[in-house]
Amino acid sequence: MAQQAAAPNSPCAGCHRAQTAHQSETPMARALLLAGSNPTLDAHPNLVLQDGAYTYRIQTRGDQSIYNVSDGTRTVSVPVRWTIGEKMETWVLERDGHYYESRVSYYPIINGLQVTVGQENLKAPTLDEALGRELDHAEVRNCFGCHSSGTVANGVMNLARLQPGVTCEHCHAGSSEHEIDAFQGVFDSAPRDLKRLSAEQVSNFCGQCHRTWATVIRLGIRGVLNVRFQPYRLENSKCFNGIDRRISCVACHDPHVPLVHEASSYDAKCLVCHASQTSNTAANQHVNAKACPVAKSGCTGCHMPKVKVSSPAGILVFTDHEIRVNRPEDPYPD
Amino acid sequence: MRTIAIIGVLTGICFIALPSTAQETTPFSDLVAQAAAASEQNNVPLAVELYSKALKINPNWVQGWWFIGFLQYNDGQFAPARAALTHFLDFGPDPQGFALRGMCEFETGEYSDSLADIQRGLSLGAADDPRNEEALQFSEAMLLTRLGKFDQALRSYVYFAQRQVLNQDLLLAIGLAGLRMPLLPRDVKDDQKPLLISTGAAIYAFMTREPKAGAAFDTLFQRFPSVTNLHYLYGALLYPGDPYAAQEQFQAELKTVPSNTQARIMIAWTLLMRNQPDEAMPYAQEAVRAQPDSASAQLVMGRSLSETSDPAAGLEHLKRALQLDPDNLEVHIALASAYSQSGQMADARREYVWCQEATKDGRNRLALP
Repeated sequence: MAQQAAAPNSPCAGCHRAQTAHQSETPMARALLLAGSNPTLDAHPNLVLQDGAYTYRIQTRGDQSIYNVSDGTRTVSVPVRWTIGEKMETWVLERDGHYYESRVSYYPIINGLQVTVGQENLKAPTLDEALGRELDHAEVRNCFGCHSSGTVANGVMNLARLQPGVTCEHCHAGSSEHEIDAFQGVFDSAPRDLKRLSAEQVSNFCGQCHRTWATVIRLGIRGVLNVRFQPYRLENSKCFNGIDRRISCVACHDPHVPLVHEASSYDAKCLVCHASQTSNTAANQHVNAKACPVAKSGCTGCHMPKVKVSSPAGILVFTDHEIRVNRPEDPYPD
Repeated sequence: MRTIAIIGVLTGICFIALPSTAQETTPFSDLVAQAAAASEQNNVPLAVELYSKALKINPNWVQGWWFIGFLQYNDGQFAPARAALTHFLDFGPDPQGFALRGMCEFETGEYSDSLADIQRGLSLGAADDPRNEEALQFSEAMLLTRLGKFDQALRSYVYFAQRQVLNQDLLLAIGLAGLRMPLLPRDVKDDQKPLLISTGAAIYAFMTREPKAGAAFDTLFQRFPSVTNLHYLYGALLYPGDPYAAQEQFQAELKTVPSNTQARIMIAWTLLMRNQPDEAMPYAQEAVRAQPDSASAQLVMGRSLSETSDPAAGLEHLKRALQLDPDNLEVHIALASAYSQSGQMADARREYVWCQEATKDGRNRLALP
């Protein structure tokens, strides 16, 4: 079994036990899996998809997985070294010094392979092109920059330094130096204290990988597809306030622990501002938060509706982070 | 590869688009018929004289103003043609009318008016015919260059690369935009042409994603090692896909031309995009000192301050940037953030909405500030 993000064993755990105890179980820690550490491939040792003239087969034996694509007469085979994504899995493939986003991905909703989102309309006239979409240098760097740690420094990618997934150092740059200094009783080199960030700064920080509001605007990503970019959606919310830490990514999500799926667990976050008709004025001068006239629980069920996005494998469901009064007849606000 | 057919095609189509004769026999209709006949015989002075007489009888005859404008334009009488087309447009907006008046202004050197008219014509549908479209797009891109809007000009030239339109005039024009020289191709001296055409060819290769584009720029750097804006240009092209590689080119530009403020602005910008406002600050300070009336310089200064030591001062620089360039998306994005950070949520919301409205067509605006 290859090394995976393992915060409990990380040097940081000595002092930051609470933050590291469950970090390895988070989706971010598992944002990239190395060969031999992918439970999906272990559980499905022979994944197959026929897509037009090509047959895709991902075969796993022991610690090795091989991605094969065949046109019936010839087969191209490359080892699966990097799995990107914790639920839907796509593979970054390397062949003759070039990198490719795999043409097919694993979708949990069908428990099998289908064409990767975004490649539905890409033609593959040759077997070599059927392998996947070739990534340019910047795309490769961006993939590994977000899905792994230590790989990219000052714009230079070095896969020899790759640590899979998001580790402490990924967000807390300089934590390695801090660890060495801390053992000697020196704390001047402590990483930037992210707790001091404003809501807007948190949004931009998380948005480095989850896409900032500005990035989505620049890229012109409109329609339901931008539901995937939570910082953008959150900042569109009427209640978002750049300086109020009660409405930010980390106000609801602790990045050090697994994602909480129970909707009721988020009620308290909303009620901090929306508790009653009178509490809000004293609570924060920037927010004039009305109390909900309908309910005092299950807030996200109405105000953060589920949005359906079609994919080659079927409908994927995302939670919309644009918090709003949602009426069924309203179009998706993009 | 195809070549560009300019102006003659445009005016021809405009001319065909309108009826040319009156129906009843009156002094007015006689004059119109005689004018049309003179026009058929390429006797422009007589045709213009007869159309003018007809317009004295009926000044509200809209097509008459068009015919005069069209004939005079084709005869090289651009100032009177412009005047006739202004009369024509007094009766209401017309895509071909704006386009042809823009062409007249292009010739008379009224470049701002020309650009405004051509862009208005384009927005109203003057380019519905593909041949018109090429001529108008080319004119617009040349005018953008002439007026110093180099980045917009380069984006306009992508149109030709996408359609594989290629010739020496086009490469020369692209080269002018790339090297940020506010000239029209006709104003270029012969000894400048090799540099400009080679530069245009390298840009064109980049726009068409030719694998040899990088090598073309390397050759340019060897042939013309001290040319201003050459490294800047390559950096600007690289920036959307690879800001790190772009940064190296902007630094190389500063080594070649230490006074290049635009390179400083872009170094500051790439550092800001990497959340390094402290490192961006000295570049922004020098840029705003050298060019206080540059919206981009004010933008990087405003962002550097907003994201480090002095958000209030940063906001003032951003407001100044907005005055200088009210439609700059990056200025509005920066203002949205700065207002939000300072708790001015109504102002922030206004900027959020502006940005969303400005980008609602879904176009990628990952470009330079």
